[in-house]
Amino acid sequence: MLKEFDIAVLGGGPGGYVAAIRASQLGFKTALIEKDNLGGICLNWGCIPTKSLLKNAEVYDLAKNHADDFGLSFSDLSFDFNKIIKRSRNVSEKITKGVEFLVKKNKIDRIRGFGKIKTKNEIAVYDKDGKETERISAKNIIIATGAKPRILPSIPVDRKRIITSTEAMILPEQPKKMIVIGAGAIGIEFAYFYSVLGTEVTVIEMLDAILPVEDKEVSALLAKSLQKRGIKIHTGTVVESAVPAKDSVSVTISKDGTKDTITADIVLSAVGVTGNVEGFGLEELGVELFKNHIKVDKSTYRTNIDNIYAIGDVIGPPWLAHVASAEGIHCVETIKGLNPHPVNYDSIPGCTYCQPQVASIGFTEQKAKELGYDIKIGKFPYSASGKASAVGEKDGFVKIIFDAKYGELLGAHIIGGEATELIAELGMAKTLEATYESIVKTVHAHPTLSEMIMEAAANAYNESIHI
Amino acid sequence: MNVEVVMPKMGESINEGTLIKWHKKKGDKVVKDEIIFEISTDKVDTEIPSPAEGVLNEIKVFEQETVEVGTIVAIISTEGESALPAETVKDEPPSTTQVGGEVVDIPMPKMGESVMEGTITKWFKQVGDKVNKDEIIFEISTDKVDTEVPSPAEGTLIEILLNENETGEVGTIVGRISKTGGLNIPAKVAPAQKTPDEKVFQKSAGEMPSADKFVKISTPEPAQAENRFYSPLVMSIASKEGIGYDELILIPGTGIGGRVSKNDILNYLNIRNTAKIPMASKLQANTESMSAVKRESVDKTSPAGVYSGEVEVIPMDNIRKRIMHHMINSRDTSVHVTAVVEADISKIYNFITANKDRLQQQEGIKLTYMPFITYATIKALKEYPLVNAVIEENKIILKKYINLGIAVAVEPNGLIVPNIKRADDLSIRGLAKSIAQLSSKSRNKGLTPEDIMDGTFTITNYGVFGSLFGTPIINQPEVAILGLGAVTKKPVVVEVDGMDSIAIKPMMYLSLSHDHRLVDGMLGGKFLNSIKNTLEYFDVNLF
Repeated sequence: MLKEFDIAVLGGGPGGYVAAIRASQLGFKTALIEKDNLGGICLNWGCIPTKSLLKNAEVYDLAKNHADDFGLSFSDLSFDFNKIIKRSRNVSEKITKGVEFLVKKNKIDRIRGFGKIKTKNEIAVYDKDGKETERISAKNIIIATGAKPRILPSIPVDRKRIITSTEAMILPEQPKKMIVIGAGAIGIEFAYFYSVLGTEVTVIEMLDAILPVEDKEVSALLAKSLQKRGIKIHTGTVVESAVPAKDSVSVTISKDGTKDTITADIVLSAVGVTGNVEGFGLEELGVELFKNHIKVDKSTYRTNIDNIYAIGDVIGPPWLAHVASAEGIHCVETIKGLNPHPVNYDSIPGCTYCQPQVASIGFTEQKAKELGYDIKIGKFPYSASGKASAVGEKDGFVKIIFDAKYGELLGAHIIGGEATELIAELGMAKTLEATYESIVKTVHAHPTLSEMIMEAAANAYNESIHI
Repeated sequence: MNVEVVMPKMGESINEGTLIKWHKKKGDKVVKDEIIFEISTDKVDTEIPSPAEGVLNEIKVFEQETVEVGTIVAIISTEGESALPAETVKDEPPSTTQVGGEVVDIPMPKMGESVMEGTITKWFKQVGDKVNKDEIIFEISTDKVDTEVPSPAEGTLIEILLNENETGEVGTIVGRISKTGGLNIPAKVAPAQKTPDEKVFQKSAGEMPSADKFVKISTPEPAQAENRFYSPLVMSIASKEGIGYDELILIPGTGIGGRVSKNDILNYLNIRNTAKIPMASKLQANTESMSAVKRESVDKTSPAGVYSGEVEVIPMDNIRKRIMHHMINSRDTSVHVTAVVEADISKIYNFITANKDRLQQQEGIKLTYMPFITYATIKALKEYPLVNAVIEENKIILKKYINLGIAVAVEPNGLIVPNIKRADDLSIRGLAKSIAQLSSKSRNKGLTPEDIMDGTFTITNYGVFGSLFGTPIINQPEVAILGLGAVTKKPVVVEVDGMDSIAIKPMMYLSLSHDHRLVDGMLGGKFLNSIKNTLEYFDVNLF
């Protein structure tokens, strides 16, 4: 007899486990199938362990390069690379255990193994030797299998010399020279981390700016800051080939037709991700795909098969944990018939956790202009904020973009200390359709960094007090 | 154990339903699958069976209330005993229509255009008295006329807010009726203390600011909409685009918690800016079709026109309102033109006459003209696929499948257009059966939303009511509709062996209303003549 479920979730990342918990809350008999620890890339090999590494870098950077600003001095300041890695693994382990507990608390059937969809209502579960261990039936199936690093043929990942983000967070020893290919959030965070620890880092980006999805002004300031730190940045540069040798890798790059070869002991390939769509039954069932991701209707997350849903990275960009969770909740509530309010893809914050941090929501200045908006821009620099000066964060700015006609908040971009925390206010403002007045008339505590948001909004209408 | 009865989801796009009738009242025993109430949605009306056996313990949604799918409508106690104290149940009025604790406000009625206030000259009922709907409950005097005012609902008068010889503006709440009849009566209300004059005036001043404004905003209840939240952005757009508050309250909200979002108001602006017709009717069509602004039942509003003779005010039911709005919407969307041909249907007439009884007896098929005309129409649609299209902005969406709609009159005053799915796959016999099924389902409230959705072309048969020909209104978003006239025997000129002579033939007018935005006269004519030819030279062996 097959064990029967209302909802079976395939994949235990931030999309899958959140969907499973919501499903259980709504009274569905729920199964969660995951071959590894719960938490997915995010908790095991992404967001959380890297934030741990970055905090190490930040503390070390402060002690090493800014101690004097605070009247402190250290002699024999040093670090143990392996302990830094270990701390990151411990943090990850603790958090994933927490998720296992949450799943248990919510009375979800946590099935350990590799799930393969056999029919539209049946999933077989295999152990790591490929032996079938269990078979369940489910009225609804939610696919949340996530994504994996994209691998280009010109950059043959061998996981020793040419690595992905996964290996980058558990390297046995600190590389002396490192080349990071791809200047998205992942590439930039590792470039920052290793650079702070003393690795000689070169970043190569095909597009014309680092963090190419961010506002141009933000990218430019970040590039300047990273270069000052000693990171070499090549934008508008294509990697022709990467060839691993015994203890080094040589990378051939070309820019405007000029070729060059550089070498390093480690190359990190961070050229994006691609959906996990293979090997678990999608082809056999005829689930419709597009560009290596599952095609869904984004109001219900239903695939072309009526009781099979998909959420998170596997359905394509923006490949963010918080989007996957929001989609998971929406999907389950739709199955319940609750008619939830759709996920607003125009109001998804994006964050990069190097120093200075970068956070944004909504349109960039370039995008808003492209869309034909007549815009008003408000900016406020960290250097003009009392709190920022007091805590030693003088680089950065807040930039807010409004539609001139109706005063709509179109986008907000922050680069500087705690930017990733500051962006939340603007997400709320955007969701509630606030205009500049709502932000300006909200009394912000003094002294805080968040005052800069109020000042930037006021600046758009020439009402800023402190600049 | 208590079982919750929820507003059922009747289809993908249906998010709310109106409870139109309770078949049971509080305290009644119900058995599983027994019909307990009836609902009306955008797409379909249906009867809802009880999910469990037990006692109807609590009614949370009342007749004429519209609620979202999933809302708890009632609670059934399966223990076999009502959780309510016995006396409360006994107090229930002996009626199936008024159940529950709904409180109905009695407003000062509007007695004419220029009459803005009235004085209560006499209350015929005291607090605590039972009242019947339309029973005279008080008498008013205005500067034009003195009159008696009937109760808007059945129940118990629970509060008198405006006493005898007190004056209130039109719309002022003068009293309240509880439909529970027995519950919630405050012990000994002293009306005189409760409502000093100033209070009444203060309150009414807020709701009805001036004489001319009242007339404008009387349709939707402004008082209810005052509670709506508008985001700063929506307010900013409204003020820049000159959308007044009375207009804002009519815009349906699709945002979080039903709020009007930026997109809602921008969509509304689009409609408003392209509207060629007076705003008011467009607004109503738009509002109703999206059905997000919930209107109060007619009970609350009083007749506003000036009539020289006796009139009867009949509240429109949901179906009538929807038909009204669909018709206005279609008229405002499509450029209707109608072309007519006359077809000699002798072949079909003779075939039906010869085979009707046999088919009825042997196969249970009730043979009418419809399957034949449907068949001819499908053939013509395949020949001229543009008639089977819809317009989406500047695009033409050609539908490669034919879901043929048949307009069905539903007694006493309904009209519904279910469609035969993939009608192009069916034989004439199959069409005959499908038509019979759909019309029986329509009349027995058995239609599902799927039956009504995604039609591609419609046929309406007003000939059965004796009309010779008509100019039907297109069923949106389709681009044409075929109307069938009555079959009449007529003398017509026929050519026999090169000689003109007069013969008696069964003739039928076929009219095609088509949307001139897409279908021009040539196409319309060719399409109609294709149908005419198929019918006139009908190969009876096809049956």
